[in-house]
Amino acid sequence: MDPKRMIGRIAFGLLVLGIVVWAVFPFAWAIITSLKAGSALFTVEAWPSQPSLANYAAIFKEQPFGRNILNSLLAASAVVALSLGLAVLAAYALGRVRFCGRGLLLFVVLGVSMFPQVAVLSGLFELVRWLGLYNRIGSLVLSYLIFTLPFTVWVLTTFMRELPKELEEAAMVDGAGPFVIVTRVFLPLMGPALAATGLLAFIAAWNEFLFALTFTLTDDARTVPVAIALMSGASQYELPWGQIMAASVVVTVPLIGLVLLFQRRIVSGLTAGAVKG
Amino acid sequence: MAGVTLRGVRKSFGRIEVIHGVDLEVADGEFVAFVGPSGCGKSTLLRLIAGLEEPSGGDLSIGGQRVNDRPPAARGIAMVFQSYALYPHMTAYDNMAFGLTLSRTDKGTIAERVRAAARLLQIEDLLDRKPRDLSGGQRQRVAIGRAIVREPQVFLFDEPLSNLDAGLRVQMRLEIAKLKADLRATMIYVTHDQVEAMTLADRIVVLNAGRVEQVGTPLELYHRPRNRFVAGFIGSPAMNFLDVVSEGRADGSVRVWLPGGVPLDIAVDGAAPRAGTPLTLGVRPEHVGLADGGAGLVATILAVERLGGETHCHAALEDGQRLLVRLDGDRPVSAGERLRLNLRGETAHLFGPDGQRL
Repeated sequence: MDPKRMIGRIAFGLLVLGIVVWAVFPFAWAIITSLKAGSALFTVEAWPSQPSLANYAAIFKEQPFGRNILNSLLAASAVVALSLGLAVLAAYALGRVRFCGRGLLLFVVLGVSMFPQVAVLSGLFELVRWLGLYNRIGSLVLSYLIFTLPFTVWVLTTFMRELPKELEEAAMVDGAGPFVIVTRVFLPLMGPALAATGLLAFIAAWNEFLFALTFTLTDDARTVPVAIALMSGASQYELPWGQIMAASVVVTVPLIGLVLLFQRRIVSGLTAGAVKG
Repeated sequence: MAGVTLRGVRKSFGRIEVIHGVDLEVADGEFVAFVGPSGCGKSTLLRLIAGLEEPSGGDLSIGGQRVNDRPPAARGIAMVFQSYALYPHMTAYDNMAFGLTLSRTDKGTIAERVRAAARLLQIEDLLDRKPRDLSGGQRQRVAIGRAIVREPQVFLFDEPLSNLDAGLRVQMRLEIAKLKADLRATMIYVTHDQVEAMTLADRIVVLNAGRVEQVGTPLELYHRPRNRFVAGFIGSPAMNFLDVVSEGRADGSVRVWLPGGVPLDIAVDGAAPRAGTPLTLGVRPEHVGLADGGAGLVATILAVERLGGETHCHAALEDGQRLLVRLDGDRPVSAGERLRLNLRGETAHLFGPDGQRL
């Protein structure tokens, strides 16, 4: 191998290494820290000398963390289900039905997602109170739809447009109405798009902080990010770093699991063989 | 079973009218082919009959019932799409059964009908496969099966064979011919392939720019094209057109002068054009013969294309007009050679300045 190529290879390797470290280090550090106890937190080492799971036990014993996880799970699942359901129906209308003002409507949907969360916070707060949803999961589901719906609608509309028109026409000749077309012909073909957008919506809802902080009051109603941020130690002057890191690890693992689970679905080309040969 | 009637059917997309008032009567059990160049509106016309497009004007009836306002499923039609349009996530069986499932037909009847259609199309072994595991020809059979299962009054085919390779296309053409004999249903078939139209259809509708140019049996169109467009469109290789000048009428025929001072008498139906009127003479390449003696039309061969079974000679007449001549496969001719050609009045067509047959 000539030296020029060698140098290129090494440089490329270093670059990859840099990216991997940049991406993985924070999480690795969280795992390491979560296994430490007491003052061991403040010694720098690659692996704790006395690893213990005490922090993991503590977050469930000293904090209502199980309840927080359940809250997050409920909120995120409801958001995913609602936004996919609404977005599929909207995507059919926006992608398949020609009507006046379609482009404008799509633009407005996109425009909504451009407001910073803070800008709508106080208005939403009033709305949530008026609906009687304050300090309930419902308030989060409602507010999360604001940022999940625009991109689910956009992605699914684009995907729906790409589906061959003949399929819809064949279904019409077979006697299917719009609802049957959407649910029995298009929906099964949209697996990859649904998996991808659903996952993104889930992650967005799972990680959301500002709304969750504002619309919940008690520990029991909090979601994971808020619970972690507000975790307190024995005294006002102590931050339980070990527990915070343990909690972070606990809530990150399911996300990684979900991504791994769905990655095949995301990349599979389900429409292969639909038309032509 | 039922016929299809179109009365002044029009279709506009926005301000552009693409179908300009089509009147057409398709008899019960008839196989009619729509042909025409791309963009002539043949597919649009089929989609209007199917109910996938709404007519902007005129009446459409199937089996004597006006169907303008009925959705596709309530028109008693079934359609086979160019791209097959099979549901990718369903097996061949489910694809064929989908329409019946939606209309809540009982399971036994569905199974019976699907099996019967599969037997007819010889795809019984493929019923539990998904479209992606089927070849092009097999997919087309499933698509046709899906149409048969619905037991429609009218079958609509939208260029069903154009995605298949040449060999398969000939095979499927024969199968569609067999299907036509077995089912005895009314069929409307859109194609740009005139061989399909000529071989399959009872009658052919030639469309051009949203208008019907001529409706007739395949041989009527071949032997008596109503205008220059039909004459040029039907037949392969296409008809030759030569500019000639009328010399007036003699005994129910018109005499024209060919380049090089050769006279030709052609029988015509209509009124004779005045002497001196410029006319177009149409003659098919297969009807140009070689003259035996010294007389005849002189042409110089520009290029020779040998197809084995036949030879196409591109030739130029004395005044420079081009002419394609079809000769036997082994005729020893070569570029630059001079031929003496013989045209016969019986096989020549004469078109007036407006393109209509005289």
